[in-house]
Amino acid sequence: MPIRIEILLLCLLVGAATYVFRFLPLRADLSAMRPGGILARFLAATGPASIATLFVVSVLPVLQGDLLSQAPLFSGVLAVLLGYQASKSVVTATLLGSAAYGAVFALI
Amino acid sequence: MMSDTRPSTFAAGLFAALPIVLGYFPIAFAFGVAATGQGLSGLEAFALSLFIYAGAAQFLAIALISGGAPLLVGALTLIAMNIRHVLYGPALMKRAGAQAGRRFGWAWAFGLTDEVFGAALGALARGRVFSEGFMLGLSLGAYLSWLSGTALGAYAGGGALAGYPVIEAALGFMLPALFLALLLSILTRAQLPVIVVAGIVATALTLLWSGTVGILGGMIAGALVGVLEFLDADKN
Repeated sequence: MPIRIEILLLCLLVGAATYVFRFLPLRADLSAMRPGGILARFLAATGPASIATLFVVSVLPVLQGDLLSQAPLFSGVLAVLLGYQASKSVVTATLLGSAAYGAVFALI
Repeated sequence: MMSDTRPSTFAAGLFAALPIVLGYFPIAFAFGVAATGQGLSGLEAFALSLFIYAGAAQFLAIALISGGAPLLVGALTLIAMNIRHVLYGPALMKRAGAQAGRRFGWAWAFGLTDEVFGAALGALARGRVFSEGFMLGLSLGAYLSWLSGTALGAYAGGGALAGYPVIEAALGFMLPALFLALLLSILTRAQLPVIVVAGIVATALTLLWSGTVGILGGMIAGALVGVLEFLDADKN
């Protein structure tokens, strides 16, 4: 099973950047960064913006079918919302959403 | 609430990782299956987990790779997505207190994912004393679960679930479910305009152009709204 050089490069580039994001702020003195400052706002907005974008793009293909075929999606979304509300856990909510999607998919 | 006064050892960290281990394994399995199903080799799927170790970004990487996105565009999109991690270290250390050690941060910070951060913060909130050994155990347990789930999913292969359409459908929804749950976990009132604009721009560009353009455009538009809100607030 080979590994393409461009995929290895992608892994190393993104892996290195992600490691820097996780590790460097532990060492850096962030007191210079004003909590409500422009950089803080940019960093704070990038995460929600990217995740909202990815959620929308990942459900768009399902939303283009008929209403019945969208029932698993709505059930899954509802289960994630309720699951997160109840558990405050990303992993639990994800698993509940996935299970609900599968259950309704099996029913129809 | 009872304060958690047990010693914060490496073993205690591993034990605390158990809920994450149980959750990560099936998601990583789904990732391994999806990656090989989209034409990546088992080794490529494993390398994504080994080096990047960020679930949502890895699922997106599959879409970008199979969609033929140029390396630089793909890397920048994934890096932008992971920027949120810069906030975790300082938030954790603030909660841990000024005297908390960070000598081995280079090791345990590699595994400071959304869920590990959440679990560590939760443990500290319940009164557990911060220790680097505990953080190492917590991070390592979660990482090993992610790697083994990926390996098994990649080994099972893209066609592994062809005879089980319900499981295949459920695993297929795991990615949108993960995005939505992550969104809920970081949602604040101030971020609502960012999220709405990012969603609208992403939808429009995806329908008019392509998924890759939609993702990039949505991210940039949302981040700009965050900055514009700041400039607006600064003016008033």
